[in-house]
Amino acid sequence: MPQPIVETRELTKYYGEVKAVDHLNLTVYEGELFGFLGPNGSGKTTTLLMLMGLTVPTSGTATVAGYDIVKESREIRRVAGLLPEGAGYYEDLTARQNMDYIGQLNGIPKPERERRIKELLEAVGLERWADTKVEKFSRGMKQRLGIAEVLIKRPKIAFFDEPTIGLDPQGVKEIRDIILRLNREEGLTVFYSSHLLYEVQQTCRRVGFIRDGRLIATDTIENLSKKVAGVEGKTLEFELTEVTPELVAEIKAIDGVASVEQEGLRLYVHMERDRSREVSETITKHSSVILLMRPREYSLEDIFLKYYEEA
Amino acid sequence: MGVTVVFRKELADHLGSRRYLVLFALILLLSTMSAYQGVLYIRDRPQAGFMAIFWGAQFGFSFTYLMVFFGPIIGLALGFDAVNKERTSGSLSVLLSQPIYRDAVINGKFLAGVTALSLLGVSTITIMSSLATTLLGFGPGAEDLLRIILIASLTILYLAFWLGLGLLFSTVTKKTSTSILMSIATWLLCSIMISIIAALVANMVAPIPMPSGPGANMTRLFESPEYRELIQRRFTIQSNIQRISPAYLYNEAVQAIMGRAGGSFFIGPGGGSPFRSLDISQALTMSWPQITAIAVGLVACFAASYILFLRLEIRPGG
Ligand SMILES: Nc1ncnc2c1ncn2[C@@H]1O[C@H](COP(=O)(O)OP(=O)(O)OP(=O)(O)O)[C@@H](O)[C@H]1O
Ligand SMILES: [Mg+2]
Repeated sequence: MPQPIVETRELTKYYGEVKAVDHLNLTVYEGELFGFLGPNGSGKTTTLLMLMGLTVPTSGTATVAGYDIVKESREIRRVAGLLPEGAGYYEDLTARQNMDYIGQLNGIPKPERERRIKELLEAVGLERWADTKVEKFSRGMKQRLGIAEVLIKRPKIAFFDEPTIGLDPQGVKEIRDIILRLNREEGLTVFYSSHLLYEVQQTCRRVGFIRDGRLIATDTIENLSKKVAGVEGKTLEFELTEVTPELVAEIKAIDGVASVEQEGLRLYVHMERDRSREVSETITKHSSVILLMRPREYSLEDIFLKYYEEA
Repeated sequence: MGVTVVFRKELADHLGSRRYLVLFALILLLSTMSAYQGVLYIRDRPQAGFMAIFWGAQFGFSFTYLMVFFGPIIGLALGFDAVNKERTSGSLSVLLSQPIYRDAVINGKFLAGVTALSLLGVSTITIMSSLATTLLGFGPGAEDLLRIILIASLTILYLAFWLGLGLLFSTVTKKTSTSILMSIATWLLCSIMISIIAALVANMVAPIPMPSGPGANMTRLFESPEYRELIQRRFTIQSNIQRISPAYLYNEAVQAIMGRAGGSFFIGPGGGSPFRSLDISQALTMSWPQITAIAVGLVACFAASYILFLRLEIRPGG
């Protein structure tokens, strides 16, 4: 049975009149890679800042690793790491000096600190740049330095706030690989905040959707897909050489076919039961040729939009 | 624990920064030059005493003048971007995600600044005194030594005030470009403009009557008691206005500690010479209001920055 590591109860934050986070109830379990997904301004950053004790909630409570976010925020910062949105570094110090400062702030004794710095700079692929000033770093390198800094305290949980923003595809992949490896090999719990659906789909198993500060859904990606697709329903996509109104009408008439949508030479056939054989036979009968036939899958984007439309 | 780590890093930053080193070199150079002038002055007037190295500058700048003029810049330069630079660069949110209390950051930064300034002030005064001792062949007596120590402490307090003000600017503004402008404006106002403003106001409130027409007797006018009273009034108005500036307060206090009862061009009834000699306890009593005012200003600036910093909404990009 996995243990909860983050638990929020009715967590709320107002900025004046603006509800940045609205009665958020969320549980993240130890060892998981949790995706926190929401559009711009939905309250992701605010939630992370509250969890790290960098801003105080208006109401509600939360615990991280068993510590209260208001009363024991320093204890949280001992065991939890945050890579903040738009994290910055001391440009006139080297990567090693930057990390050394963070290590000292965490009270790590010198020999241990030096060992961890070396090990982590290797882990994020910056060992060659250890003694280069950060001002010479690219965005991707800075972001990797940020991850290394988060890890120097050997956290139980790491919060990453949009860690791949502004990176090229290669950089995105590198960051994602590092995070996935940390989760799989080191068992690090990762709380991954992003507005990029594709990325969360690639990285996280369980996701929470947030919009306007409210949590709309939390589940595994498969379950969310299923819910959107309808549990028993199935949609087939066809591309044909010819589509006539008679053909559409005849497909609709097949028992078990719920509806048909036409988009030029494409047909989307929604069925209550599997009727793919009957549908293809009907098409052939009308002397049309099937160029493509595939089940329609719901991308995370569809799920995302669907949930947002409902909200 | 957190505060010592922040302190050490910030101090290392200051001591290695071009900004600090340039100011340090400039002050050191000008101070040794002013001490040299002081030495020449003492050679001409042996009764002036050792302390004259700090004020006996015949050609322009004395140490006090240097501090009045450059002091604000030195202090403000070490403080004006302490907080907002880290806010805009995003390193502040990384820093505050570490297991430290938030006040460790502002305390560490302030203490590091004060240490850097003390180093500058103390080493400048030490170098000036040793240079003068070598050139003159005699050093400060016990009382002069005490005065020098008092001047050094007062200088540190004064520079720390400007640091605190810079820190406040860096906490209330988001951009370093704003806080640097505020710093420069404050510096110009307190070091240069204030005396001009004071003179203008005095001229408006108590204008000097210009005898018009031919045959007006200038000498009689200048010697009349009304005229002396007028000049005294103008002076009081001017110095009261200038007391808004901590630089002026510092100057008054240092003059007193050096044994020179500045404060007035014309001493009250019976006083003939512009300066009378003060012993240390008299000097301290006399300069106490000024010293207190600077200290209160320092505490107010730091307390305001401290409270604002603790309430700061930490957000990426400011
Ligand atoms: N300091 C502030 N004052 C007023 N409103 C604020 C402040 N900070 C954030 N907000 C508001 O709170 C809401 C949530 O912001 P937040 O930064 O948490 O969103 P986000 O999900 O992280 O967005 P993004 O994807 O753009 O990073 C927004 O509507 C924002 O305008
Ligand atoms: Mg955000």
